[in-house]
Amino acid sequence: MAPFVLGLVMLAGWGCQDPIPSGPSDIPGTLWMEVDLQWNGEPFALNENVVDHLGHTLTLNNLQMYISEVELQDMDGVWHRTARPESVHLLDFKTPQPHLLEAFPEGTYQAIRFGVGIPEEINRGTDPALFPNDHPMGFLGSAGMFWTWSTGYIFMKYEGRAAPLGSEVMNSPIAYHCGTDASYRTVSLEFPYPIYIGAQRRLEFPLAFDAAKVLVGPEDSVDVIADPLTHNGPNDPIAARLMDLLTQAWSFQ
Amino acid sequence: MSRLKHSGLLPLLLLCVVGCSRCKDPEGPCDNCPPAATPYALEIPPLFPPMDIPEDNPLTVEGVRLGRFLFWEKGLSLDSSISCGSCHLPSSGFSDPSALSVGVGGALGTRNSMALVNLGWAPEYFWDGRALTLEEQILIPVPHPDEMALDWPSAVDRLKADPAYRERFQAAFGDEDITPDRTAKAIAQFLRTLISSESKYDRWRRGEATLTASEFNGYQIFIREGGDPETTPGGQFGGDCFHCHSESGVQFSDYLYRNNGLDAHFDADAGRAGFTGSPLDSGKFKVPTLRNVALTAPYMHDGRFQTLEEVVDHYETGGVFSTTVDPFMKYSTGGLVLSPTQKQDLVAFLHTLTDTAFIHRPEFQDPH
Repeated sequence: MAPFVLGLVMLAGWGCQDPIPSGPSDIPGTLWMEVDLQWNGEPFALNENVVDHLGHTLTLNNLQMYISEVELQDMDGVWHRTARPESVHLLDFKTPQPHLLEAFPEGTYQAIRFGVGIPEEINRGTDPALFPNDHPMGFLGSAGMFWTWSTGYIFMKYEGRAAPLGSEVMNSPIAYHCGTDASYRTVSLEFPYPIYIGAQRRLEFPLAFDAAKVLVGPEDSVDVIADPLTHNGPNDPIAARLMDLLTQAWSFQ
Repeated sequence: MSRLKHSGLLPLLLLCVVGCSRCKDPEGPCDNCPPAATPYALEIPPLFPPMDIPEDNPLTVEGVRLGRFLFWEKGLSLDSSISCGSCHLPSSGFSDPSALSVGVGGALGTRNSMALVNLGWAPEYFWDGRALTLEEQILIPVPHPDEMALDWPSAVDRLKADPAYRERFQAAFGDEDITPDRTAKAIAQFLRTLISSESKYDRWRRGEATLTASEFNGYQIFIREGGDPETTPGGQFGGDCFHCHSESGVQFSDYLYRNNGLDAHFDADAGRAGFTGSPLDSGKFKVPTLRNVALTAPYMHDGRFQTLEEVVDHYETGGVFSTTVDPFMKYSTGGLVLSPTQKQDLVAFLHTLTDTAFIHRPEFQDPH
């Protein structure tokens, strides 16, 4: 916690005194990754009706998740952290262009990895009031994504309604709220080809997130009617299963 | 801006903005204040987030004072019968004890007046969020036919005819020019000072008070998942209150818009959909803060519940199904299943959010 707060303080001081570094070598390039929402590989939008792996008609009306600690791997296998002292995003698929925007040193990279959730050292015991209000972890920026000071933030919300088999009436709620430190997951993806990020240049490289794969994978699946809710309560394994499945839901376009 | 998007500088500038916003000193020099005005030393209570104050409307002593006079000014209504304060009574936590507020000539509004408390931390205003700023919100009730029913040009003329107001505007804004915009700004400044932070809950959080066993049990119910674990996965026989009435920022609202299962149809009031036009927002209303909730009866957007016990009973049922009902509502799993004692404890905790010092502060009362 202390190093993180220190980082914020340093950022505040730096921002006030010298907002734009002067030398080109000090300016990294940026990576803009718009995240396209899919359902079984097809474009998908919230509030559309879809059918899951078990044949349930369902709709999602809220899908949010924290992404943190974004790193790129160079061609020598070395991982590089973002140039920002802290790297936390709240992906909200209700917004027009959910995306990750990070700054990295100029170079060629072969893979990316990031966390889904908020790292333990800044999750619990963190007070949203410590951040600027619109920060992803701040009071307003985290609206609806903060549990309590002891349990921290909700890492992923997957909400909607589903119809039982044989029915078209979607009156069964889906409310998957996954969080707590044990739910933090890391996603690693190799780029389809090496990408080059130039200094002071922006590279756009889209990601895809397949919401159907949160419910089914090669080794597990979740039934939205039989297990419609999770809030990471005691003796509730659904959240961990969903977070495991979620790591396989990412791909490049 | 479009050039910035492609230059790679945008993220750096964003970092700068974040950094600079942390450097604001609410008690320091005020760059944007009118030359003659005195910066208002706004005290942010412990555990509260920073307050984002619009750069074009910094708080000044003179502006807040003017805003107080305007807030209580009955001359801003057509027949000079009501002021903003008429529907936001201090004794009711700056809300209206009537389910629907009565405007000029007995006109009846359509929704319960929201409590005015800690507004400086709210991102949007009205039950449907149609005002994005406090200043914007204030411009609406004065000409509204069901409220104060006075067009703004007439309101401005009345203020201009009063030498005392000309003097107050001079002090607050540097000259005697009186406009709707300045009127709204002054009232907004006053409203941002309506800060409640001295409830028993606040003092407990600061280690200055102890909750009774009943209050503490109520707090535990407040932050516990709702439902019977036999029928509701993850259920903890709690009240499930904290999801929407979040302790984040100690404001007891996430300020989102939710349908809490009051109705199956929304012909009477479409809620946020009336503003956004989206059927996905039908029946959704802004989650109100619970600060001073024991003072702000009746409850819900239409004031349908008279007591906190009735409110708890509503959540106990799980509400009724509709296509936009919030997934937190337990309409399909048998409700919350709270015992009578648990309900009493929950209500006892809600009473700890009452701040009587706040409603009695002399600087908030009618100065006329």
